[in-house]
Amino acid sequence: MLWTFMKLAWRNLLRNKRRSIIAGTAIGLGLASLMFVDGMIIGMFNNMIEAATATFLGDGQIHRVGFRRTQEVELTINNAASLIQQLEKDPEVDKLALRVLSFGMITSAANLSAVTVVGIDPQREQFLSQVDEAIVAGSYLQNKSPLEIIIGRDLAETLEVGLNDRVVVTVAQAKTGALSQEMFRVSGIFHFNIKEMDQGLVFISLAKAQQMLALPGEIHEIALKLSDRRLGQNKEHPFWKKYSREGNEALGWAALMPELSFALQFTDFSIFFMALLLVGVVAFSIINTLFMSLYERIFEFGVLRAVGTRKSGLFQLILLEAASLGIISIIIGSCLGLVLLLIFSHVGIDYSGIEFAGVTIQKAIYPVLHIGQFIRYPLWILIFTIVIGLYPALHAAKITPAEAMRKSL
Amino acid sequence: MVETKNSEPLIKVEGLRKVYTDDGVPVEALRGIDLSIYPGEFTAIVGPSGSGKTTFLNLISGLDRPTAGQVWIKGRLLAEMSDKELSDFRRDNLGFIFQAYNLIPVLTVEENVEYIMLLQGVPKEERRRRVRQILKEVGLEGFEKRRPPQLSGGQQQRVAVARAMVSNPSLILADEPTANLDSETGGGLLDMMRELNTKTGMTFIFSTHDENVMRRARRLIILKDGRVAEDKQLP
Repeated sequence: MLWTFMKLAWRNLLRNKRRSIIAGTAIGLGLASLMFVDGMIIGMFNNMIEAATATFLGDGQIHRVGFRRTQEVELTINNAASLIQQLEKDPEVDKLALRVLSFGMITSAANLSAVTVVGIDPQREQFLSQVDEAIVAGSYLQNKSPLEIIIGRDLAETLEVGLNDRVVVTVAQAKTGALSQEMFRVSGIFHFNIKEMDQGLVFISLAKAQQMLALPGEIHEIALKLSDRRLGQNKEHPFWKKYSREGNEALGWAALMPELSFALQFTDFSIFFMALLLVGVVAFSIINTLFMSLYERIFEFGVLRAVGTRKSGLFQLILLEAASLGIISIIIGSCLGLVLLLIFSHVGIDYSGIEFAGVTIQKAIYPVLHIGQFIRYPLWILIFTIVIGLYPALHAAKITPAEAMRKSL
Repeated sequence: MVETKNSEPLIKVEGLRKVYTDDGVPVEALRGIDLSIYPGEFTAIVGPSGSGKTTFLNLISGLDRPTAGQVWIKGRLLAEMSDKELSDFRRDNLGFIFQAYNLIPVLTVEENVEYIMLLQGVPKEERRRRVRQILKEVGLEGFEKRRPPQLSGGQQQRVAVARAMVSNPSLILADEPTANLDSETGGGLLDMMRELNTKTGMTFIFSTHDENVMRRARRLIILKDGRVAEDKQLP
């Protein structure tokens, strides 16, 4: 009997092809939007994670406990040498970079500015961050001279300096707090398109920074690039516990950038909320289509009831019509969603320069196509269509045969 | 084939009343009807528009509930049946023929005829056999795969007759079955139904204005203002 009802449902739906196609397209558009928004949000967060980690942060970092909060130069990593050895042997670690950081002052003939002075090992750093790729004038640190410095484009404008101009960097030494000054020659200018970095960071060689801060052989930060990049998001992974010892703390990017992590945690909720809005809109289309089709055929329902179809049979028939409409919509929506995702995952959408959750989007966002979009959302639409179909189905089941056929028998 | 009044009536009606409310105004469609219809009858219920013919058919088929009075079919009191029991009772015991044919337009001729047997759970082979046989009897061999809109009015009404009869019901209720047909087609159809009545013993009850029906009926019940004005056996 179910097969007959299914046949009836499909044929009833195809009876008014234009209306069914319009309704299917309306619902399908909702589905396609849902799939696209999902792909877009994933793409955006991939982009943001990439921007946050690949630019400079890394997938994770190790510091002395308290350094992140106070930035005190004395708080260097304990037993750094053995820790580095251990990290280099760890299969979870792909690359690492060593850094020394300090607040300081940079002065030119024209101006001065407060900056964070970062001492880096140029070889290690170029495998981990994008400082070398961000150079827009001059060159990346070459280790030709310890007195090379690279500064951001915005800072160069503030200081009114260009390549090969001289600048003086002043920092306070560890323990004594004595001022240490050095004159550098600007060897490169970078532009990350992130205001804080372009204005507030300067890079010098690691050895020079250690010497200026009176921290021979010591470092403040080990930035990590991990073999499995998802590990940076998992705060509970044993990897972070393993290296959080001897007064040091190891944290993934999710812990280092809680605002970004928080925004990511709300991804599912935002998609669910958006889905609720979209399906709310398409609900009217479903109800309208089913009711129009129902009122047109009220006499037929009377006939079906008269010849012995039970209320439950009629109820099943309307639900099957709703499900069939859902299936048509899923086919249309999935095709539309696939086309949209394929196009935009190739050409991208340019949001560069926009800041969200503390991260500046660097590149175009490429919506991500994944199989879940073609399972989860179509299933939602199907279930939702059937649930919406309950109302007209109950309505049809309540019709008494005589009432439906009042004009005849 | 008509059984005598000494046998048990197929339908027994006592004090049947029906009051409708039309825009808040009560309308008395039936004002107390008492009658019995016996197995094998070929009965026409006639009367002017508004005399209560359709209401009477609705009530004796369980499509509607009376305001007062009782209806028994095959000894069963309809008022005591649930909606589900009534559906099953109609499925197994009644056949309907409507003025506007009322076939399911999205089903083919054979699917329309087969539908009731599907509800009854008749095995596929048996269904196919009975569909072929009844379509042959109503002269629609070769039309099995057509859909109702592809048939003439007379052909559609033949499908309706086939649908009503295919499950061998005890009673066939026909509401103005010839109203939409020309007199020649209508006459042919009535002859066919009368022949089936004679051959199978099925009981037919018509509501009609049509002289064609009245001429062929063996019993005539005339309704007027919701009451039986005349009830006569015809030769």
